[in-house]
Amino acid sequence: MIKQKMRRLLENVYNCPYLILIMVSSVIVMISFDEIGVRLVDHIITNDRTISVVGDIVKAEEHQTQGEVPVMVEEIQDTGIQDALNQNMISENLQENPENAGERKEETTGIEDENALNIEIETYETPEIQEEIVKGTTKFLPYTPLEIESRYYSDAGKIALTTEYPYVLENDSYFNDAAFLGDSRTLGIYDYVGLDGADFFCDNGMTIFKLLKDDGVTEQGTGQKVDLKKVLQERQYGKIYIMLGMNELGYGNTTMYLQEYMSVLKQIREWQPTATIFIMANLHISREKNNMATEFNNININDKNVASARLANGTDIFYLDSNPMFTDSEGFLLSDLTFDGVHLYAKHYDKWRQFLMEHGVERGDSAAVAVPAADGSDINNAAAAVEADGTEGTQTADVAPAPVEGVQ
Amino acid sequence: MLFSSVGFLFRFLPIFMIVYLAVPAKYRNYVLLVGSLVFYGVGEPYFVLLLMGSVLVNYGLSRYMFWEPKSPQKNRKLKAKKRRKRALILACVFDLGTLFVFKYWDFVAGNVNGITGNQLLPILSLALPLGISFYTFQMLSYQFDCYWGIVSKRAGLVAYSNYICMFPQLIVGPILRYGEVADRMAERRIRVRDLENGLKLFAVGLGIKVLMADRISTLWNTIMTAGPGNLHVSVAWMGALAYSFQIYFDFWGYSVMAMGLGKMLGFRIPRNFDDPYTSRSIAEFWRRWHITLGSWFRDYIYIPLGGNRKGDMRTICNLFIVWVLTGFWHGADWNFVLWGLVFFLLISLEKKTYGKWMERSGVLGHIYTLLIIPVTWVIFAISDMSQLAAYLGNMAGIYAGRVMVGTEQFIRYLKDYGILLIVCVIFITPFPKKWYHRYKDRWFMVLFLFAIFWWSVYEIVVGSNNPFLYFRF
Repeated sequence: MIKQKMRRLLENVYNCPYLILIMVSSVIVMISFDEIGVRLVDHIITNDRTISVVGDIVKAEEHQTQGEVPVMVEEIQDTGIQDALNQNMISENLQENPENAGERKEETTGIEDENALNIEIETYETPEIQEEIVKGTTKFLPYTPLEIESRYYSDAGKIALTTEYPYVLENDSYFNDAAFLGDSRTLGIYDYVGLDGADFFCDNGMTIFKLLKDDGVTEQGTGQKVDLKKVLQERQYGKIYIMLGMNELGYGNTTMYLQEYMSVLKQIREWQPTATIFIMANLHISREKNNMATEFNNININDKNVASARLANGTDIFYLDSNPMFTDSEGFLLSDLTFDGVHLYAKHYDKWRQFLMEHGVERGDSAAVAVPAADGSDINNAAAAVEADGTEGTQTADVAPAPVEGVQ
Repeated sequence: MLFSSVGFLFRFLPIFMIVYLAVPAKYRNYVLLVGSLVFYGVGEPYFVLLLMGSVLVNYGLSRYMFWEPKSPQKNRKLKAKKRRKRALILACVFDLGTLFVFKYWDFVAGNVNGITGNQLLPILSLALPLGISFYTFQMLSYQFDCYWGIVSKRAGLVAYSNYICMFPQLIVGPILRYGEVADRMAERRIRVRDLENGLKLFAVGLGIKVLMADRISTLWNTIMTAGPGNLHVSVAWMGALAYSFQIYFDFWGYSVMAMGLGKMLGFRIPRNFDDPYTSRSIAEFWRRWHITLGSWFRDYIYIPLGGNRKGDMRTICNLFIVWVLTGFWHGADWNFVLWGLVFFLLISLEKKTYGKWMERSGVLGHIYTLLIIPVTWVIFAISDMSQLAAYLGNMAGIYAGRVMVGTEQFIRYLKDYGILLIVCVIFITPFPKKWYHRYKDRWFMVLFLFAIFWWSVYEIVVGSNNPFLYFRF
């Protein structure tokens, strides 16, 4: 009797290999990734991260992620700041507390002046040239930040505005010595703006972390994957436009993003001592696409934008915010301009073209000579600007801002 | 809950199947009903009440249709007939009324307000209950079948509820007739073989949905992201093709998954698609595309209106009604009406002139169908009329301003999606189905389907939990 039953069971097993295979493998998967989905994703992403981007410290921290998320965030931020401090000799905390902003005003102003003075003394040889240099300022518009519980971002509590500077209206030839580095939105500029003279290094899904990887980015036009490190050492550009941050929304956190941005700029400055660098704001997304339950929302985008804007020094690094052209009063990308809530329709890129042309910077030869080549002190200069925002944040701006407070 | 979600695959389905198979056969209908309501309720916690309410009202009306008073009456037959008619009308009013409120009210109100220039009717902005178009039609089908005597023996409440709510077909069909499930509802044996084959079929459907439909959809999205108006002819057609693949594989994948699940539960769910893209005329296309919907309109609208037996004028008129309604059924917007009207025009023309000839001609018929169908899907896809006009213009080589998405982007898309497009083309032919049936018990096919299943799961997990890996900017 038992034998017969066993035989029938075996027959069934033989007849249903698929059922057995799926059942066994599912059980194995469900046991090994108990919260399937959550854990599996963590697993995949952690692996991906450890191979790819960030330094060893971050790797170590990634492993702590599993358990206590809130603690982890703080740790990362702390080390992130420490790192920033070491690298850039900033004496103040990067993470600003909006409540203390007023108090620290005087302090930071003092430091900024000192730094600026140092650099000027170091870099500019003759006092006449020093006077000719026009220094732009990047203003930040404060608002009351929301409490955000996310490992990826926090509410910056302010909006970065386009660096104020006597920009010049340019024509097409201005872009002949320009390079654009970015993600799918930059690919859009390549596709639809039609700046034929410029070089474009961009891909869907590009991040600041991937930008300088070996063969990490496609040179549009040729369609070849190139090593941007080599390209930037071989060719000299007059202008470099960077727009990255969208694919970083759910990756690492804003401090890591800022750190990486700094080190990328430092690298680029080393290879391209004379180039004017434009940090372009990431375009906001539409109301429909904005999702506070995920990290895919305008507060996070703004957090990244504010972080990158801190690197603009107003002399050879500028921050350009194209959002006011395309967003409504609450900072959402206008839904008429987009199909997917993220990318502009091709025809609206003309406006962007106009924006880029209107924001030409003519620094003249003196500035080019004046910039130090390889010691990276220019980025320190940028870092000094980071602190300047505390001072200038309270100023009102004449540019129509795109406030983010309303984003719920 | 969607079939292609981790929650369904690794939570709902295993737990449900264990309970379903463990309980004695006579309790399986109860388990199925509870399971189906949980399945629906997880995603739609409030609308599950609407669903249950609709089921009860419809069941009550169908009971009323069969009700026979004990005491003998005069004109018994006449009264019975009247009663049945009354019940049918009430059911139609209730079902279509519910559907109208949830699906069409805002559209009608918006248009009325637009025409009169006043805020005459309020816009309700109600969410659409999942699957309402499908289950409403199924409820109506039961009422008509009862009225006409096609269903002669009334169903029990649980059997009827299961017929409407059974989770494999609740959300996206196929639209069943009660006759198709009645005997299995009363008694069904589940053999291990059915589980095996059902699961295989389910994996096939999952693969079609996740690995083909979801991936090709990004091509259509990319092209629409650039925006109609400035697309080169080649890109516009590529987009139309991509959308045609997307909608077919999405829907077909779901239908195949439903068939697989049905098999695992001991039911026979009819197929919904029969290689529609290999048709030689538009009329044939609609006999092979969404078969259960086409036959619903045929049996419950077209034929009761007189079909083609009352002269040419009436035939054309009936076709017109059927196709406007078909358009509306797919969505509450003018482009869906237009979409239905295009089919009305083409099918009427085919009926009166070249249809028979096309179907006999072979290659020419295929070319004709493959050229027309993508155009109809573009009409289906784009609700904004000016955008629709711009896109159709692009397909005809008419541009608004300069071409912004031209041959360079075409080549880039071809590089990114070339292989997938070839796979899609293979899968619109009947061959994959033939191979599947021939080899489904061989080891290599078992391993292949195993790989497909887990690859799909991987894509679902990565895609749903981290849009940044899947949907890259």
